[in-house]
Amino acid sequence: MAHRVFVTGAGAICAAGRTPDTIFADIVDGRSSIAPIASFDTAGYPSHLAGEIAGVELRSLLADRKLLKFIRRTDVFGVFAAAEAMRDAGATQWRDALPDPEAATRFNDRFGCYVGSGGGTFDSQYDYFPLMTEAHDDLRAFGRELEANVNPMWLLRSLPNNVLCHVGIAHNLKGANACITHHSVSGTLAIVEALEGLRSGDAERAVAIGHEAPIEPQNMLYYYRAGLLSPDGLRPFDASRNGSIFGEGAAALVVETGEAVAERGANVLGELLGSGSASEAQGLLAISDDGEGLARAIATALDDAGIAAGDVGMIVAHANGTRNSDVSESRALLQVFGGDMPPVTGFKWAFGHLLAASGTIETVLALEALKRGVVPGIAALSALDDACAGLNVSRETRSPSSNIALVISRGFGSTNTALLVRV
Amino acid sequence: MAAAIGDRKLLKFLSRAHGFAVAAADQALADAGIAPTPATATRWGIAVGTGMMGVPYADLAEVHDHSAAGGELEPGNLIDDPSANDPMVFCRSQSAAGLSTLARRYGIRGYATSVHTACASGGQAVGTAMKLIRRGVADCVLTGGFDSMVNPVGLAGFCLLSAVSQDNDTPQRASRPFDSTRNGFLLGEGAGFLVLEEWESAKRRGARIYAELAGDGNSLSSYRITDSPPDGDGPIQAIQQSLANAGMTIADIDYINAHGTSTAMNDRSEAAAIKHVFGARCADIGVSSTKSSMGHLIAAAGAVEAVVCALAIRDGVMPVNANLVSVDPDCEHLNLVRDVPRKQVVRAAMSTSFGFGGSNSCVVFRHPRETDALVAQGR
Repeated sequence: MAHRVFVTGAGAICAAGRTPDTIFADIVDGRSSIAPIASFDTAGYPSHLAGEIAGVELRSLLADRKLLKFIRRTDVFGVFAAAEAMRDAGATQWRDALPDPEAATRFNDRFGCYVGSGGGTFDSQYDYFPLMTEAHDDLRAFGRELEANVNPMWLLRSLPNNVLCHVGIAHNLKGANACITHHSVSGTLAIVEALEGLRSGDAERAVAIGHEAPIEPQNMLYYYRAGLLSPDGLRPFDASRNGSIFGEGAAALVVETGEAVAERGANVLGELLGSGSASEAQGLLAISDDGEGLARAIATALDDAGIAAGDVGMIVAHANGTRNSDVSESRALLQVFGGDMPPVTGFKWAFGHLLAASGTIETVLALEALKRGVVPGIAALSALDDACAGLNVSRETRSPSSNIALVISRGFGSTNTALLVRV
Repeated sequence: MAAAIGDRKLLKFLSRAHGFAVAAADQALADAGIAPTPATATRWGIAVGTGMMGVPYADLAEVHDHSAAGGELEPGNLIDDPSANDPMVFCRSQSAAGLSTLARRYGIRGYATSVHTACASGGQAVGTAMKLIRRGVADCVLTGGFDSMVNPVGLAGFCLLSAVSQDNDTPQRASRPFDSTRNGFLLGEGAGFLVLEEWESAKRRGARIYAELAGDGNSLSSYRITDSPPDGDGPIQAIQQSLANAGMTIADIDYINAHGTSTAMNDRSEAAAIKHVFGARCADIGVSSTKSSMGHLIAAAGAVEAVVCALAIRDGVMPVNANLVSVDPDCEHLNLVRDVPRKQVVRAAMSTSFGFGGSNSCVVFRHPRETDALVAQGR
């Protein structure tokens, strides 16, 4: 019999705040933290908005401030969110009070860490620009002048799995692990792998993290040219929608088996019920018009959780505001839920699209919504697109129809994930 | 590369590593004699180990010359920079590009995931793929890894860390894992792929089975970014878990394809881990690092080395650990495969992979005859 898996700690940081409850309160109040980009000069850029974590000194987010030399902006957010979730769960404090050192060793060996990571940034390669200028396209000069021009830690600072490494070291976690670099389903897949790792007994406890900092000029140009970024705002399912908006940040969940929860009398925030994941095999950027893969992922998740569509009390849609994704998502939801659809909402309009971290932060916020019995409205929605007719969305705050939420993530490679959580 | 994958247009959207991925995955599927069909596509999964994001050097140089000629990026210059507006440059740079290309090329519509834990990526991808079949998410999985850091930026990153051998005048001797004179690894590049299939269904269709992928172990060292601890803590847990996961004891393993990077720290830590787990059995287990002959394929290493393990079982031969002259005293307890390959039935083979960042992977393969015997006993 597979173990049941419970959430016992949560942390999140994005433009809207540094704790799950402050972020959630902003959304409920209809406040968007998307604003003109301050981190670089956007003069001439077709799109100049993002959900930046403004006015933050990165150093202040780290317990170990020396770490800033070894990691990048995205990693700082991941390490911060993980520390918040770990503090919230209190599991390592419990470990540190164990009288038996062997029990602590066993705890560490059975504590997993699963991360969804953006996989890298363009600006990490820019660290070579001063050297390239110096070398004048001469690779011999490039080699000769290398050590004088590039930080010796360059490679280590650029590793996509830095959060996994440093969260492990900070909390002495030694169990099963993964770092998933699969665009916007990375964070959800990290939760899925944590869920499965605990179900099957690979680990007894784990932290699942997603982190991303995609707001950089070269990345923004590519996304805009691909028709994925809006010049003027993220309006999910709206007739006038014209793309997504980048956000940045991270979130983390501590999960434990039922046995591990009982062992230390942990406070439970919710339960992971099941998941589904499906590709549409359309290539890097294209997706199916009919939401076929997403419908399949949701059906798989319902089956995995052993529940019916009618048991779902709210849906956190991917709702990224692009023309194709929103309409195909709407079709998939209509196919699965028909006219009996629970309240549907989305969060990206409020703080931007966190890509690899999007599924993680939206799962954290879904638990917050269920706990409070509040489905936030989509304040950025003014006129529902006719192509999304029947989708149960609203500008107004509503109540979930049960204690179960469905969280949807979609990413490059036409991949879809569906995760079911309960409080 | 165009000849290897027969699609010149596709190559424009692919980095060098993605091209290797397509070439190796094409081979693996052709070799398996099974591929996704519209009827089975949703029951096929894909799990790959992907290299760290890298903009090909030529693409980076174009952005430099146009938008950062003075050494710092001028964001305003990017706006009309052809490279920064070229969708093909974008596709080549994306960490999801390899996986997306393969899923589309073969029509794989089930669970799709791409992992990166540096040098452990390939091994962790193969382990993930096995679990997809075990938990019933997929009937078949295409799994492997691909990477190429053989470019100015990639090589420079390792040079800055003094991780690579500087024996530039003796390239074929430069990678010598477990030798007392070793002084770093050499980069390799490429891809390795396996087709995994549930045992009973493979038997039913009469597939030629190389090996059973029997177990996976996976741990975190939580020690330092680049090094495993000298006492083997971390790798030890991965090896022990893989044995437990495979339902094996130390008596079952005949061959270990070691991570064996040829750096001072890795090989010492790995030798200590093997000693800790296998004790006196070390005398009977052949060990070799094939990085001695093909270099370190980074995110692809564990995948290619998993393929090597499958072939070692099929052919009853352990590949040589090249370039061993004087074994490091810290590694003398290992029964290293020296000078010539060792012909011997391999009942089970193990592949270890340890990454920067502290992830440790160990996958175990069992000879199909052994699996047949276990199945006949009802296990």
